[in-house]
Amino acid sequence: MKKIEAIIKPFKLDDVKDGLSALGIKGLTVTEVKGFGRQRGHREVYRGAEYQVDFVSKIKIEVIMDEGMVAEAVESIQEKARTGEIGDGKIFILPVEEAIRIRTGETGKEAI
Amino acid sequence: MQSAFEELKESRKTLLSRFSSGNTWGSFQDDHTEIFDQYFRKTLQESRIGQELFKKAHPFALVAVGGYGRKELCVHSDVDIVVLFGPKVPLLAKEFVDEIFFPLWDLGLDLGYAVRSIKDCLSLCKDDYQVLSSMLDERFICGDSPVYLSLIDKLLRSFTTRKAVSFARWLEDQNRIRTDIFGDSSYLLEPNLKEGIGGLRDYHHILWLSKSLFGLRTPRDLEYTGKLSHNEFQDMKDQLAFIWLVRNHLHELSGRRNDRLNLEYQEDIAHRLGFKNQRNVLAVELFMGRLHAFMGSIKSLHHSFVNAHLRNGNRAKKTPPAEEVPKHLQLHHGEISFHSATAILANPFLLMGIFAASARNECPLSLEAKRLVREFLYLVDEGFRESDEAIRGFLDIINGKDTFETLNQMFETGFLDAFIPEFARIKDRVEFDTYHIFPVGRHLLETMRYLMGSGARKEILLLDIAYEISHPERLYLAGMLHDIGKTGKDHARKGVNIARKILKRFNYDKEGIEDILFLVRHHLLLAETATRRDLNDEKVIIQCARVIGDVERLKMLYLLTYADSSATSPRVWNEWTANLVQELFFKVLHVLEKGELASADASQKTKTKKSALFRYMADMDQHDLEHFFEVMSPRYILNTSPKRMADHLSMLQSVGQEWEDPESKAFLIEAREDIAQSCWEITFLAKDRPGLFSDMAGAMALNNINVLSADIYTWHDGTALDVFRVTGPLDAIHPQETWDRLKRDLKNAFSDRSSLALRLKKKAAPSILSSMRAPKRAPNVIVDNDSSDFFTLIEVFSDDRLGLLYIITHALSTLGLDIRIAKIATKGDQIADVFYVRDLEGQKLEDKSQIEEIREALLHQLSQPSAFTTK
Repeated sequence: MKKIEAIIKPFKLDDVKDGLSALGIKGLTVTEVKGFGRQRGHREVYRGAEYQVDFVSKIKIEVIMDEGMVAEAVESIQEKARTGEIGDGKIFILPVEEAIRIRTGETGKEAI
Repeated sequence: MQSAFEELKESRKTLLSRFSSGNTWGSFQDDHTEIFDQYFRKTLQESRIGQELFKKAHPFALVAVGGYGRKELCVHSDVDIVVLFGPKVPLLAKEFVDEIFFPLWDLGLDLGYAVRSIKDCLSLCKDDYQVLSSMLDERFICGDSPVYLSLIDKLLRSFTTRKAVSFARWLEDQNRIRTDIFGDSSYLLEPNLKEGIGGLRDYHHILWLSKSLFGLRTPRDLEYTGKLSHNEFQDMKDQLAFIWLVRNHLHELSGRRNDRLNLEYQEDIAHRLGFKNQRNVLAVELFMGRLHAFMGSIKSLHHSFVNAHLRNGNRAKKTPPAEEVPKHLQLHHGEISFHSATAILANPFLLMGIFAASARNECPLSLEAKRLVREFLYLVDEGFRESDEAIRGFLDIINGKDTFETLNQMFETGFLDAFIPEFARIKDRVEFDTYHIFPVGRHLLETMRYLMGSGARKEILLLDIAYEISHPERLYLAGMLHDIGKTGKDHARKGVNIARKILKRFNYDKEGIEDILFLVRHHLLLAETATRRDLNDEKVIIQCARVIGDVERLKMLYLLTYADSSATSPRVWNEWTANLVQELFFKVLHVLEKGELASADASQKTKTKKSALFRYMADMDQHDLEHFFEVMSPRYILNTSPKRMADHLSMLQSVGQEWEDPESKAFLIEAREDIAQSCWEITFLAKDRPGLFSDMAGAMALNNINVLSADIYTWHDGTALDVFRVTGPLDAIHPQETWDRLKRDLKNAFSDRSSLALRLKKKAAPSILSSMRAPKRAPNVIVDNDSSDFFTLIEVFSDDRLGLLYIITHALSTLGLDIRIAKIATKGDQIADVFYVRDLEGQKLEDKSQIEEIREALLHQLSQPSAFTTK
């Protein structure tokens, strides 16, 4: 099992979600996050006061899946989240040791 | 004969199953209480130890306290009881307790008991008001009545009136704690039926106060002694019955004593209580609407009761000068009231007047005044609603100091409904999701609170903007009305019609109405655009700016977005959203301030051009045409005639399939002579990529084509469309030969078959004429980062010469810049070119040293002696 974490632009969430659903992925976790990478925040001066935004608003999605799905899922996320400009985000793939569905106690593949 | 215990078990089972099957809903608490009373009476008769206690002259009484005392036993309520002895608790008492209470525990009941002497009771009550409040609910069940009466006598003597005030203060503290922990149930998504503000506890407080302050014995006494009016008492009884019924169902569904009405149970209970889905409204929304309204009434009754009967010193505010209080109204102890009820009959406008005075003086209405307002609501008829006097009063309130509190009172007394009947239709609507925490009416009031308070917020930007609004009243009215259409889907659009009706009734000025309706119609625009669209896409911003139209409206919309979102739920307006909306605000602001792309004129032009283009291209598939118009850049649409747009589209269509590939190297060139201007216009179409423009300029230089002006556009789908105006080719007799050569050179360059740079270099070999062509004036390069949020503008001024455009664009693309838009202009022998560039990652240039490097590189290239020999 693997976990895919992707940081994407907020307005791309629906596209990415639809792409993953089309692959048969049934669940994902979405979080509103802030951060910075190569994309800089922005600074505004209005009536003499300065408004600096250091952290850019992004969406983080987390999906757990069977190893066999990973390549396809990553490809889909990359395709859907891309605008070609800075700040399109990143995708991380992490190993997952075990998954348990709390209600039934099912483990492993059954639980995701 | 059945034992007391068996009987309890059985009758309780019967009662619960009768409840499940829909019977005894109204009398459940009474019946449930009676079953326990029966049990205790019967056990006492059967009890051996009980008899022994009496024989040994230790008389005692069983006294129900707390909820059991008030006969409010719901399905899983706990049962509290005191075993009361006279002067002293005998040892034998313990055995008795085991005998009668243990079986109840075995039954899984939540039982609380205490064994106390009268003295214990009194001293506990003195130390702990929690105990006192529970004792105030006492009710005799069985046993020795003299013992009971003696307790009551002492309790009354030592606690009513004498301790009443300090007890009342304690209750006030409890209220504050409840607010912190449980919140206001009259509008929370998952209200706590008992402890929340507006819950059963509010009613208990009224009871306890009436007992400790006035020595009242039963709830009914509240009406008999005139503490509550007949209507108030009846309404309260009905509302409580409903809440208890809900509570019983909640207990049954959750299988335990649970007073928080979780989302998961709400639909079920709505169904059980017979609520039905209606057009646009879910049963559960109707149900929660009713519940919130009832809890709101209980809250407000409690509030008024406390205010009326517990006036204390620290509430007395500064008494404002009398002239601020209109005739027939009076200010007393920091509360406003009517002189007399007949005054209202003589002048119904006092009903509005009292609220206006309340807003002006920051003083609430007295309980009596609220009662009178409710009583005389029937005077608020059509004539009242349309009268200048009432409308002026309402606008005064909207603009007043204490607006939110005043609106709140207007809301709670029902006056707001009467004055704006459209409000009554939506105020109790609840949206069944976890996103909206308030019913619509409460949400509108909360929105007002945030609008009024934007001054007090720490968000300085909002504060600054709030100060700049020229007509705050319009913003406030929009805040009041923005969700007035919330009777179903597309509420913003519906709201416009309803709001227009209301504002017409107010006889509001036309310009104001337009602004307010705009705000109602588009109150979701900023939030939706900020979270769902690409803010780095200039077109998105321009479209948004065109909808908004002017800076004043943008500012009002920004404040409304903040207030609306904050009033929806704290989760909706957080730093994450705030940052996105702020970014959008500034970008739209800049587009509007510069004007050219989003002025009313520009929007109008776009519309007329679109319809003209559609006429020219009548043969083309409508859908495709829409698509093309969608991807065209806003600047392109503004600067190009519909006829030329049609030509360009025809060109595009002729490229065919190959165009689908984003890497396509296909391109098209079309040259036409402009006889009037004695020059040629060359249109060039290709898939955009960095360096494309420079290649084009290079190929022209190679063929001795001198560029007079050029407009470079990049469309949304990656189409680069360049229109060059050039001087005629050297060979005026066979111009086509030159264009063909240009085409061939470009084709070779695109397919890397020949290097433009190399050929140009050869062509530019020094000549003896070169030195004579040294530039006369020093060139200048200005880098402008302020004019656009999306591009860095590089302006170049220099003497004109052949190949200059290539030199500049080649330098720019070597420096890693992508030219997205360009305006090339020649005046006499001077050029003034503007390039809109971004780096290859799509960002503006912000690094100072990088900017300086670019400037220097360009200046260096420009000051070289002319490279080309032919001119």
